[in-house]
Parts: sequence; C-alpha cells; structure tokens
Amino acid sequence: MRSPRPARHDALRRRLLRSLVATLTGIGLFGLTLPALADGPWQRLEATQAVLGGATPSTRGLVLDLPHVSEDGSAVALTVGFDGELEENDYIERIDLFAVDNPSPEIATFHFTPMNGKPEVSTRVRLNETQDVIAIATSHQGERFATAREVRITVSGCLMRNGNDQPEPLSSPRVSVPSSFSVGEPEEIRTLINHPMETGLREGPDGETLPRHIIERFTVSVNGETAFEAELHQSVSANPYLRFHLAPENSGEALFEWFDDSGESARHEVELSVG
Amino acid sequence: MSQQHKRDGFSRRQLIKGMGAASLLPLIGGVAPFAIGGQHAGRVVVVGGGFGGATAAKYLKRANPAIEVILVEPAETFYTCPFSNLYLGGLRDMRSIAHGYDELTDRYGVRVIHAMAEDVDTDSREVILSTGRHLDYDRLVLSPGIDIRWNALEGYDEDAADKAPHAWKAGPQTELLRSQLQDMEDGGTFVMVAPDNPFRCPPGPYERASMVAHYLSQHKPRSKVLILDAKDNFSKQGLFTAGWEQLYGDRIEWVGLSNDGRVTRVDAGRLEVETEFGTVHKADVLNVIPPQKAGWIAERAGVTDDSGWVPVKPDTFESRQVENVYVVGDATVAAPMPKSGFCANAQAKVVAAAIAASLESRPAPEAYWTNTCYSLIGPEYGISVAGVYRVQEGAIAEVSGGLSPADAPAETRALEAEYAVGWYNAICQDTWGTST
Ligand SMILES: Cc1cc2nc3c(=O)[nH]c(=O)nc-3n(C[C@H](O)[C@H](O)[C@H](O)COP(=O)(O)OP(=O)(O)OC[C@H]3O[C@@H](n4cnc5c(N)ncnc54)[C@H](O)[C@@H]3O)c2cc1C
Repeated sequence: MRSPRPARHDALRRRLLRSLVATLTGIGLFGLTLPALADGPWQRLEATQAVLGGATPSTRGLVLDLPHVSEDGSAVALTVGFDGELEENDYIERIDLFAVDNPSPEIATFHFTPMNGKPEVSTRVRLNETQDVIAIATSHQGERFATAREVRITVSGCLMRNGNDQPEPLSSPRVSVPSSFSVGEPEEIRTLINHPMETGLREGPDGETLPRHIIERFTVSVNGETAFEAELHQSVSANPYLRFHLAPENSGEALFEWFDDSGESARHEVELSVG
Repeated sequence: MSQQHKRDGFSRRQLIKGMGAASLLPLIGGVAPFAIGGQHAGRVVVVGGGFGGATAAKYLKRANPAIEVILVEPAETFYTCPFSNLYLGGLRDMRSIAHGYDELTDRYGVRVIHAMAEDVDTDSREVILSTGRHLDYDRLVLSPGIDIRWNALEGYDEDAADKAPHAWKAGPQTELLRSQLQDMEDGGTFVMVAPDNPFRCPPGPYERASMVAHYLSQHKPRSKVLILDAKDNFSKQGLFTAGWEQLYGDRIEWVGLSNDGRVTRVDAGRLEVETEFGTVHKADVLNVIPPQKAGWIAERAGVTDDSGWVPVKPDTFESRQVENVYVVGDATVAAPMPKSGFCANAQAKVVAAAIAASLESRPAPEAYWTNTCYSLIGPEYGISVAGVYRVQEGAIAEVSGGLSPADAPAETRALEAEYAVGWYNAICQDTWGTST
C-alpha cells in the first residue's frame, strides 16, 4: 500500500545475503564469491583485535542500542545486551565497548556472572565526534560476538551552554533496587555517583591541562560473592550511571563500590530480599 | 486518477484556470486538464498550518503562482507556542498569539481546507482527509509538528494531561495550565518535568520556568518553581541560571539528571512524580513536558525511522525514505538545527524553492538556514542564541553562531527583550501575514 521503505529493504537484503552466505559456506564456496560477513570496524582497531584474540566473532545476538543522532556528545545513552543463543551452561562473561574515533577508544569492560541473570548494561558515554561504537561480547567458553553502530554527533544550536559546574568526586552514591526478587527472575539495578571523570585532555581555566581523574572500577557483591564488575575509562560520561540486572538466589547484603584513580573509593550497602 | 478527481472536490482541472485566485470556477467536464490554460505547474498538498506548513504554502505560491497549493489544517485559528510562555506569565493574552489563514487564501491563492489528514498513500500519491475526501498530489509537504509519546513516561497518558498539562502545543492545554497557576495557593510549588533531547524548543522549558516565576513573584510571593530534568545540560544554561539568580533569587530550583532529576513515574491524580532513584516530589501545579515524536501523520506516510522522527535529505528536506514527500519543522531530524519555529520557517522556504525547481526539472538552489531563539527571563530581560547552517559533507552543519554575552548590562537584556517582540511580529507576519 505504501511506498517501499529503503531501511526495511536493506535489512531484508542483509538477511537474504546472510542466508546466501550460510548456503555458500555450507558448500565450501565462502570467500570466493562474497566478502566475509564478520567484516566490521572491529577488524580495523588494535584494541578490539586484542579482545577478539584472533577469533572471528559472530554478528548475531549482541544488541547495541544508541541514538542515530545525538545532540550532546558529552552524554550519549547506550544499552548493550545479549539475547542470542549459547551452549547449555555457557553464559556471557564479558562485554567490551569501544569508540573508534575517541582519543582513546576503550569505553568500558563489563564482567558478568551467572548472578546477573541477564547480560545487559546501560550507561552514558562521551563521543568526541560522529563515529562507530563497537561492542564485543565473550562467553565463558570463549565464544565471541561483535556489533557496531554509527552515531552522528551534532551540537544543537540551541544547546549551546556556558555553565561549568564540576561535581564533587565520589559524592552522592545512589542505588536503586527492587523491593523484592523472585528466585531466577533478573531485576533491574540502577546506580549513579557524582564524579567529574576528568579525561586528562581538557584545559582548565588557567590554560593548564587538567590531570586525568576518573572512576576506574565499580564492583557489586552479594553476600561477599562478586556479582558484577565494570572497568571504566575516560569515555564514560561524568557522573557514571550504570543500569544492569541481578538475580540473587538468596536474600542478603549487596555491596556497591566505586574506586577512582586517586585511590579513593565510595561504597553503598543495601539489603536484597528474595522471596 | 480521474476517480480520485471525482472524489476530490478541488480537482486539478478546476484550478488550472483560476491559478492564484481562490478558484471556485465551475467544473468543466470532459476537458483534459492540460488543454486549458496550458500552464499547469503541478499540485502540492501541504499538511499542517503551523510555522513550517503555512510558510511552505505561501512561499510555493511566491515561487510560482501557477503551482496549485492546498493547505490542510484542522484549526481555523492557530495559537503559537512562541510567546505562549508570556501568556503563562501574564504578559499577554491568548488573542495576541492567535493567527488565521485569510492572507494565505486571499492574497496568495492557497486553498485552505480545514480538516485532518488521516492517511497518506505514497504509491498512488494521495492524502486521505477526515472528511473522506482524497487529494492527489505531485509533491507532498508534511509539517505536522510533534506528538506526545503517551505512556513513554509511566503514568503520563491523555487523561493525565487533563490534570498535569504539558502545554507543549499551544491552545486549551496552555489555558488549563494558566488557570491552575491562578488557582494555586500562595506557598505552593510549581513542578516542571523536563525531557531529554531531542524535543520541541530546547530553551522552552526554561523560559517557561522564568515566566512562571515572574507571575509568582507578582501574585504568590511565597511560591516556588522546581524543575526536574532528564538532562545534565540545557540550552543557554549559564545565561538562564544567572538571570534566575538576579531576578528571582532562589525561587527557581533546577535538579539535573546526575542529581536524580529524571522523573520515571507520574501520578497525575495525586500531583506526584517519582524520580529514577525513588524520590517522590509533590506538586501543587504539575507541568509535565513529556517525550515526543514526529506528528503521527508522518508515520502513516512511512517517513519516520525507528527514532520516531523523520530523516531528510539535508539540501532539500525531501524524505530519505519516500519520494516526493518533503518534511519540515519539528518532525524532522535536522540537528544541529533546533526544533524551533524559526527553523521550521527557514526549512519551509528551502522546501518551497526545491519543490518549485523540481516541478520544472531544475536542480534545487543551494540551501542555507538561519535561526535565532530568543527567551525571556523577565519582562525586560531577554537572551538569545543564533546560528547559521549549511550543508557540509552531506550533513547540516552550523557554520557560525553565538550567544548573548554573559555579563551584559541591564540595557542589553532590555533591548533583547524588545528584539524578541520584533522577532515574533516579523516571523508571524512572514508565516501567516498577521501580527499583533
Ligand atoms: C513553550 C514553547 C515556546 C516556544 N518558543 C519558541 C520561540 O520563541 N521561538 C521559536 O522559534 N520557536 C519556539 N517554539 C518552537 C515552535 O513552536 C516549534 O518549533 C514550531 O511550532 C514548529 O513548527 P511545525 O510547523 O513543525 O509545527 P507546528 O507549528 O506545531 O504546526 C503543526 C501543525 O500541523 C497540524 N497537523 C498535525 N497533524 C496534522 C494532520 N494529520 N492533518 C492536518 N494538520 C495536522 C497541527 O494542527 C498544527 O497546526 C516554542 C515551543 C514551545 C512549546
């Protein structure tokens, strides 16, 4: 009824291409006729190659959600998660994020455990300019998955600002947990803490480069057992925000800790009730 | 084609002769359209009579009076969002922001149909109106503005908007918010929920907070304004903050994203909102500016993408997804141009020129746009941000721009408040041919 929508057509074409490749691979012609489908920006970046360790990642199952266009590169909302298939007993152990054209491409590494229940994280990142953002997931048994999304960064004319308040480092840790959990049901946990996440690349008012000062590590443990960890780099926005899941087996004490590169840390404890 | 012409009272044949005049000539049956006059230049249907649509209709006629232009807009009177904050602050009445379509019909020969466009068939190139009429087109312009993403913010649906107005489309919602402010007891709190980008009019929430604070300072001096924001930065932030301090002391409090400003649940019945980390704020008047998307007709026409907004080719504002459909104004992804009335007007002129050219198989002239957003912090305290835009490497880019100075004397602020009025009169004159 309506005119063709190229976006959809592209997706369809890609799907067709993929099944075509599957067929061709099956009969041993792969490589002769079509470029490798695992081709992606992760093949051109040293940092991503290091995580891949020579493996060719599957491009299925890892989902990276970012706006196509962002009007404020200082805080771009990002969600990454895995909803593909894995062998029985295998689980996603780690997800790495990269911004190809940032001064240093590493954004963050998230370490999951079976206690997360669902390998998905949301955060906010800094993107210097229009570029590809890459996610790579690694399973416990060493399977690799990769995906990339292009984000266009524009600074909207009406968004020009001239305020510059710096937050007090490691102040106001905030954690939101559901009032109760059911066994085996992952629930959303949200955390936020104030910190300038100074990149080490910016000039202060006196023209001197401000030293790097960032939160490097965030950990969550439940009853003393590590449930989730995040390594953060300077491409994570000021006032780091992390949303992830927990599926604790038993009620108990959850400890949230943030560590910055000056040796300081902040902590927050909450009681989790499983019922 | 002929079938559609029958269903449509304004057939092409009818209009070839009348051209500019509001042609109500009798239908000459059985005569081939191109036989009469010989100057048929094409038919353009424009959906939406706001800043983008009204400007597009007028400038199409100015580009070539032989183009048949039909404007579809349900309202007979359009209330502008620009200066609706001044109405909230008690500086203006609603009549002063009302505009009609007489000049478009009488002077420019635009055919205005007061109806809703209900659907678009981009294969057969026709627009289906709420009256049941079908209008075929050679080129379609959509300028439907925004729609609210109901329930994107938990608890905020159409019923909730009757209690906690958004007032982000000017009209009854704006009047409701004003009457709630007038009924509020002295000592009450006006709570505003501000959205994340992108949304209509980036400085709009903060101008509104200023105008509400102005009204309160005159009539309810013990009352406060609390802004709960889903962002950490906002348009002209430094200028607003300094102006607030100077004019209103600590009457206005702003809580940004990183201080738990993002509202995740609205209870309009109790006038309460809850933030992401569980703080509940109680309001006496609650103004929720919710997440938005392109006006729904854009989705019907198949021009929106999964963001809910419309990607366009930057040099012509033709849809990237559907041929012969041009989209302007708030509905588009035009960043770094903001979603402003000024930009909608500027984009519409580019579209009018591009369509006039394409109907004659000429290439579109090179596009550039300007924008100035004035905001009033007080009746005699204006600030502004301006930008000039061009297409660079296939995308819209800001090539120059600027902001009011940070430490300006009172006279500068007073002058900018005057310029704001001059701007409003000029843009309304340019768009509808009416000013107050
Ligand atoms: C409080 C506030 C203050 C603002 N202040 C300023 C300012 O100072 N300066 C500035 O430049 N901008 C300002 N703006 C922004 C400005 O209002 C918008 O950017 C502008 O209205 C966009 O124009 P538009 O044509 O895209 O949409 P609109 O002007 O909203 O016009 C859309 C029209 O389309 C019609 N329509 C929708 N769907 C259909 C359909 N299916 N069929 C037929 N008709 C339809 C609607 O009835 C409406 O009349 C402000 C906005 C707000 C909310």
